[in-house]
Amino acid sequence: MSNKINTIGIPTEEEIKKAQIDFSPRCTSAGRVNDKETQKMVEYILNFARKHSLFVLAYGTGCGAIEIPATMTSRYDAERFGIRGAATPRQADVLLITGYLSTKTLKRVIRVYEQMQDPKYVIAFGSCTINGGMYFDSYNTIKALDRYIPVDVYIAGCMPRPESVIKGFIKLQELIKDGNAGNGECYRDNLDWYRTNQQKIIKNWDFPDKYNW
Amino acid sequence: MDLINNLKEVFEIEGKIKNDFQIEVEAKKELVSSILLYLKNQHGFIHLNHMSCVDWIEDEIFELVYIVWNPNIRKTVMLHTKIDRNNPEMENIDTIWDQANTYEREFREMFGIEFPGLVAEREFILEGWTEMPPMRRDFDTKKYAEETFATRPGRENAEDVRETIVKRTGEEIPDFAKKYSRD
Repeated sequence: MSNKINTIGIPTEEEIKKAQIDFSPRCTSAGRVNDKETQKMVEYILNFARKHSLFVLAYGTGCGAIEIPATMTSRYDAERFGIRGAATPRQADVLLITGYLSTKTLKRVIRVYEQMQDPKYVIAFGSCTINGGMYFDSYNTIKALDRYIPVDVYIAGCMPRPESVIKGFIKLQELIKDGNAGNGECYRDNLDWYRTNQQKIIKNWDFPDKYNW
Repeated sequence: MDLINNLKEVFEIEGKIKNDFQIEVEAKKELVSSILLYLKNQHGFIHLNHMSCVDWIEDEIFELVYIVWNPNIRKTVMLHTKIDRNNPEMENIDTIWDQANTYEREFREMFGIEFPGLVAEREFILEGWTEMPPMRRDFDTKKYAEETFATRPGRENAEDVRETIVKRTGEEIPDFAKKYSRD
């Protein structure tokens, strides 16, 4: 009898493994339902909605921010893909890292990223975020962004033109549709690793110890 | 020419005319604030255009350049002065022009030049900087960057990207691009 009672509530190891194969562990907390088929359906609808309303935080970190007005205005008109600006981090879905990122700005970017609500996506913009670009030997800019915050899509170029920016957004929409985008949960799980990397270069560390995510 | 002769009479310094708009003067560091005040009050050079610092590491010298402008005669005076690099110290001139305060803060942070009597926060652009002032030429930025920041490994082979793409897609390289090809 005691065995039967135990097996009702607690899933076995095999069941847990099966569940992990079926769904990617990222970004599935929003509409979690016990039934797997229903869960898939809910995920599909949620991702469809997310994909078509990407609110971008109006925050430019480097020289790349100059391409954003061109992307948003009438010639390229990014709003036809559902891409538009948001005023505060808590209202935004997408964080654009536009161009080089100095250590001073990185601190602000991490604060902004941690304030954003799930699901949140990061698009890194220009070659500076990929490998340092023309600032490869600078004492004050970071060289690889994904060591400090998780990144969904990289857009290469110096600077990427509005066409490539829109292509990056479309790539992000494909990732969202397949349920592969959104690294907020991944960031929380590996917070220690990210924190060690961040504290290595941010000397005057005054972040709060814990967030109530 | 009158201006240079006047400066030579009053301060006994060397100067030359570079062109119609620019006059170059060199002075000892003790005289700088007096010359700037004299130019401002007597000759109408009321505007401080710029202050900059040059690191002559071979001669162990920092060269400071003060550029002032007279809007009436439209002429610029560039005042050069040299200070010791091992013990860099310069007179504070933010009593003459307020905006000099910002330049001096930058010199203090980027070159380590001390300005006795300068009232300002020590931290200006860099946050939590513990190394040597980064604009000095003996600061190795590349070594510092490699030690501090995580880098991504680059390509190991030196293949031509254009040709690789052409082979993959089966296109032809256009004529105007062939002269840049490596083969």
